[in-house]
Amino acid sequence: MRLEFDLNGEHVTCEARDNQSLLDLLREGLWIKSVKKGCEQGECGACTVLLDGSPVTSCLVLSPQVEGRVVTTVEGLEADPVMVALREAFMEDGAVQCGFCTPGMLISSYALLRDNPEPSEDDVRTAIEGNICRCTGYVKIIEAVLDASRRLKA
Amino acid sequence: MRPLPRFRLHRPGSIAEALGLLSSLDDAKPIAGGTDLVPLLRDVERGPRNLVCVGQLGALSYLREEDGMVTIGATTTLSRLLESDTIKRRAQGLHDAVYQMGSVQIRNLGTIGGNLCNASPAADTAPPLLVLDSDVTVASEGESRTMPLADFFVGPKISSLKPYELLTEVRFPAQQRSSGSAFHRIGRRKGFTLSVVSAAAYIERDGEYCRRARIALGSVAPTPIRVPEAEGELEGKEVTEALFEDIGVVCRDHIHPIDDVRGSASYRKGVSGVLVNRALKDAWIRAGGELI
Repeated sequence: MRLEFDLNGEHVTCEARDNQSLLDLLREGLWIKSVKKGCEQGECGACTVLLDGSPVTSCLVLSPQVEGRVVTTVEGLEADPVMVALREAFMEDGAVQCGFCTPGMLISSYALLRDNPEPSEDDVRTAIEGNICRCTGYVKIIEAVLDASRRLKA
Repeated sequence: MRPLPRFRLHRPGSIAEALGLLSSLDDAKPIAGGTDLVPLLRDVERGPRNLVCVGQLGALSYLREEDGMVTIGATTTLSRLLESDTIKRRAQGLHDAVYQMGSVQIRNLGTIGGNLCNASPAADTAPPLLVLDSDVTVASEGESRTMPLADFFVGPKISSLKPYELLTEVRFPAQQRSSGSAFHRIGRRKGFTLSVVSAAAYIERDGEYCRRARIALGSVAPTPIRVPEAEGELEGKEVTEALFEDIGVVCRDHIHPIDDVRGSASYRKGVSGVLVNRALKDAWIRAGGELI
């Protein structure tokens, strides 16, 4: 079916299959490769995108369901100050190892800092509860998100 | 790669259109947030031939408090429930439950109606809604029926919903000042996991006495259940810590859970008594009571 939606600030018209997940549409049809395919059952969070501003796992969304809606990935937030602070903190604080979970982590952390600029450590843990990282043990990621919030305040 | 089976996805513009599609299409199933259904479809060769999207129907997404009743539209997301002040004050146990459900991403997609229609014995919205004495409204083309939530659940993953029907609304009396409710659960880890056992309690307080009590358990029977025997033991009594402990034991001895991948029957029995006790204590304190 023919599908129209807003992707990273641009109006997109594309073809999508009824049984195609938003994850597959983004990666295969629209070449958005930051969105990672992990578990395909909503558990790992590697495919997290913002749908109308809220983090969702794109493997659980069927493409036709985004008709007329707004989808944002890290590509669309490159120049956003909150994302810039997060990106720099993730790099400088060693919050990235293999990098597979990173785009999803960044999207979840972005939504947190956008709505709650001074989160507690518990808030950060809750925000990334749906994002699995097999390398870092989460400690450095949590530190980086808290660091980003301090950077934004400074 | 776990490809989805083939299906046609329909996106009706109104509830009437959705009901029309459900009754006219062969082999159709409604889909709201998809957090339960999509992973399920990835595990089957052949799914339903038609899916009818209801998540986009704004008319099914609402939360109101009017004339002492709270009404929630079926496609209201778990996130919206979590943020709602009405739920926090008027359905405390439901707030507790949603707080512990899924992850941010799942709560942003998942809906209260989807959680109930999936009819899992482990559905976390069920026990707190059962103790609030909730009714559900089910619509089909040209008619609608309202029933107690307890009658909606038929068996594991089986609801009384007919293929052409749609759950449209959940409704319960708003908690009043001298009442409290609470929900506790045990999972295999703290976050983002299914309940091994869950318990909800509702208490109406009359001074130091319990005027009315309702207790419900999840994951200990084919459906989420109320435990009227235990409720009867509590009503009209002067509340003490020891009494709540006894009621936990009554619940434990009343249920017949099974062994499964998440926990053994004997563990479930033991822990259900503990969870009921915790839920009762929280509900009592929230109702303004003190514990001796």
